[in-house]
Amino acid sequence: MSTLKALKSVNGFKRTLLEGLLVLVVVAGAIFFKSTLPGGELRAVSTIFMFIALSQAWNIIGGFTGYASFGQVVFFGMGGYFTAAVMLHLHFSFWLALPLSGLFGAVFAVIIGQPLLKLKGHYFAIATLGVAEGMREVVINLPDITGGGAGISVPIAGTFAKTQYLGDGGFYLLFLALALFALAVGTVVSRNKFGYGLRAIHQNEDAAAAVGINTVRSKVMAYSLSAFITGMVGASYVFQQVTIFPERLFDVEITVLMIMMVVIGGSGTVVGPLLGALGLQFISEYLREHFTNMHTFILGGIIILAVILIPQGLVNYIREGRRTKNYSLLANIRRYRL
Amino acid sequence: MSTVPILETRGLGRRFGALDAVSDVSFSVNQGEILGVIGPNGAGKSTFINLVTGHIKPTSGQVLIDGKDMTGQAPWNIARAGVARTFQIVKPFNGMTVRQNIAVGIMYESHGTNRLSVALEQAEAILEEVGLGGSGDRMPGELSTADIRRLEFAKALATKPRLLLLDEVMAGLRPTEIEPSLELIRKLKARGTTVIVVEHVMKAIVAVSDRVLVLAQGKVLMQGGPREVLADPRVIEVYLGHRYAKRQKGNA
Amino acid sequence: MLEVKKLSAGYGRIQVLWEIDLAVGENEIVALVGPNGSGKTTLLRAITGMIPVKSGSVDFLGESIKGQSIEEIVSRGIAHVPEGRRLFPGLTVRENLILGAWRTKETSVDHVVDLFPRLGERLNQIAGSMSGGEQQMCAIARGLMSKPNLIVIDELSLGLAPVVVDEIIQALPSIAESGTSILMVDQDVDAALTIAKNAYVLEAGHCVLSGKASDLLADPRVQESYLGVG
Repeated sequence: MSTLKALKSVNGFKRTLLEGLLVLVVVAGAIFFKSTLPGGELRAVSTIFMFIALSQAWNIIGGFTGYASFGQVVFFGMGGYFTAAVMLHLHFSFWLALPLSGLFGAVFAVIIGQPLLKLKGHYFAIATLGVAEGMREVVINLPDITGGGAGISVPIAGTFAKTQYLGDGGFYLLFLALALFALAVGTVVSRNKFGYGLRAIHQNEDAAAAVGINTVRSKVMAYSLSAFITGMVGASYVFQQVTIFPERLFDVEITVLMIMMVVIGGSGTVVGPLLGALGLQFISEYLREHFTNMHTFILGGIIILAVILIPQGLVNYIREGRRTKNYSLLANIRRYRL
Repeated sequence: MSTVPILETRGLGRRFGALDAVSDVSFSVNQGEILGVIGPNGAGKSTFINLVTGHIKPTSGQVLIDGKDMTGQAPWNIARAGVARTFQIVKPFNGMTVRQNIAVGIMYESHGTNRLSVALEQAEAILEEVGLGGSGDRMPGELSTADIRRLEFAKALATKPRLLLLDEVMAGLRPTEIEPSLELIRKLKARGTTVIVVEHVMKAIVAVSDRVLVLAQGKVLMQGGPREVLADPRVIEVYLGHRYAKRQKGNA
Repeated sequence: MLEVKKLSAGYGRIQVLWEIDLAVGENEIVALVGPNGSGKTTLLRAITGMIPVKSGSVDFLGESIKGQSIEEIVSRGIAHVPEGRRLFPGLTVRENLILGAWRTKETSVDHVVDLFPRLGERLNQIAGSMSGGEQQMCAIARGLMSKPNLIVIDELSLGLAPVVVDEIIQALPSIAESGTSILMVDQDVDAALTIAKNAYVLEAGHCVLSGKASDLLADPRVQESYLGVG
C-alpha cells in the first residue's frame, strides 16, 4: 500500500512521465491481447473501447460541466451519417471522413449549444433529447443524401471504395485509438484551467461568472468538444457496420448506456466513466452468457441498486470514503438523501 | 492620482413588472475609498450590487467603470475589468477544495497564470491573508460560518480586484469574528483597493466607511459621513418609521 | 400565558438566537422590535414550532411546547400570521377566513367582521384583488378564526400606508381584551410601542432591551440598536 501512496504523491512532470509509461504498457498489452482473440471476441472488446470513448466524451459536458445531455446520440448519428454520405456520394476515403465527421458534430454543437445551454437542468436534458429525435426525422426525410428509412451503405468494394475495410483486428485498433484519444482529452481537461472552469460552472454558475469565467463560451466549448469525439466514434461505427439505419444510429439507448457508465462509475472523474464502461460491459456480457433468460432483469436490478446506494458513482464514493474515513452505505444514502 | 471615479452610475434603474426595485441611482466612488451602503430590507441593496456586477441587466441608466461604459456587460467582463464581489448567500464551489476554489479565480483573472499548479501555489498566499491558512485541503461543506465567509472573501480576492463589493459579509458573525473582517477591509484600503461595503451591521459601517450611501425603496436617500448619516432624521425614519422619527424630532 | 426562557435557535449550523427571555401575559399586547437580521422572525418561528429549538424552554399555558409539531402547537391555541400575509389569493375573503377555522370547524365569520368592518363589505371578493391593508386585515382575521389564546403577527405594517396601519392597530386592543393575546413584530416602531404593554428589542440575536413599551418609546437606546449610534 505504501508504494501506491508513494506513487500518488509524485507530482508534476514526474507524474506525467509515470502515467505516460503506464499508458504505454496498457496499450502494448491491448495490442498483444488482440492477437490472442478470435473474431467475435475482438468485436466485443471493440465495443468496450467504443463505449469508453463515448462515456469520456459525455463526461465532459455531463460530468464536468453538469449539463446532462440526454440527446448526445445526435452527434453519434450525425457523425456516422456524414461519413456514410461523403464516402458513398463523394467517394471520400474514410481517413478523411473521420476527422470531418468530428468537426461536423462540433459545429452542430456550437450552433444548437448557444440556445440550448441557456436552459437549466431538466430543461436542457429534455431539449437535447428533442434535438436528437428531430435530427433522426430529418435524416429519414432526406433520402437522396441519407438513404432515408431504407438505410445507407458505405462502399467497401468496387471502384468507389476508397478505403479498404479494416476487418475485426483493424477496427479493434481504431476504437482503441479513439478510446485513448478520449481518455487523453478527459485527463487534460480534468487538470487544466478549462476543466476547472467547467467544474466551477457546474458547482455554481453565478459564482463562476463572478470570477471571470465566460460561462457561455466555456459551456459551448465543452459541448462542442464532446460532440467532436462522439462524432468520430459514430463515423467509425458506421464504417464497421457498413449498412446502417436511422433507428439504430439515433437510438436513445446509446445515450442511456453512456450516461449509466458515467454516473455509476463516477461522474466528473476520468477513471469513473472508464470503470463504468468496463464494468457494465463485462457484467452485461457475463450475465448474457450465464443467465440468458434473466440477464436484462438482473442488470437492471444491479443498476438500480448502484444508483440508490452510491448515487455519486463508484470513484467519488471511494474518494469521499477515503477522505471522511467513513464508507458506511447508510451514511451515504443519508448524505445524498435520494 | 486619477480623477476618474473607479465606479460611477448614472440614473441606474431596474424594473420588475410594475415594481421599481432600483430607480434613478446616481453616485460615484473614487479609487481607494471605502463606501458603505445601508438601507432597510427591500431597499434594493442586492439588486444594486447585481446591477453593478452584471448579474442583472439594468432597465435604465448607465454603469461606468474607470469612465468606460460597461452597462449591461456580462459578469465575467465586469470581473475582468477589475471588479469582484461576494455573495450574500455564499456560493462556494462545493465539490472542490478550498485551495482549488481560489485557484479558479486566479487562473481566470485577466493577467493571471494559466497553469493550475502555479495557481494552486498562489492560492496559499490568499488563504493566509483571509485567515484560512492551513485549511487549503478542506472542502467548503466542512467549514464553519466564519470560515465559509472567509472563503467567499478569498474567492473575490483571487481575481486581484481594484474594486471589491462586499454583500453583507458581517451578517450573523459574532463580535469577535467581525473585527478580523474589518481589519482585512482596512488592509485592502491600504493597498489601494476600493471597497463598497453593503451592510446591516451598523457598527461595521461606522468603523470602516469613508462615506455612506443610504438606499430606501430603490432610491438614493442621502450620502454623507457615517455619523452624519446615521443621525439624520430621514435615515431614522426609514429604519424606525415615520412617526418614531417625528417623535424624536419633537423630543429633541 | 407564553413563557420563553433562554431560548437559542438557528438554521442548521448557523445560530441566530442566543438565550432569549420573553413573556406574554393574558389579554396583553407585546411588541418585538429590532433591526433587520436581528432574529425577530426566527424567534416567532421557534415559538410556533416552524424551526427546532436548540436549547431553552417554551411554555404555553403552563405546558412545554418546545419540540412539538406545528399542528400540535396550533391546536393548543396559537395562531401565526406570517410576514407577507400568505393569504390564499385565488379564494374569496370568506373562504380564507373559513379555512382559518379549519380546526374548530367554525363557519361564522361574524366576530372577526365586527373587528374589521371593511372585511365585512368584501366577504365575496377575491382575496388577491384587495389592497395591502385589506389583505393584512384578512390575514389577521383568518388567524383569529380559530379563537386562539395567542396570535403571533410578523411584520404587520410591512408595505402598508400609515393610515391603514393605524386602522389595523386600533383593532388590536379589543382583540387582546377579548382573550387573545398578541405578540407582534413590526418595522413601525412607534406604532408597535404605542399600542403594546411590554416590548423587547432584539439586536443580532440577543435581547438588548426589554420593559414597558411606553418606557422604551422614550429610550434612546432603541434607536441605537437600529443605527448603532444615538
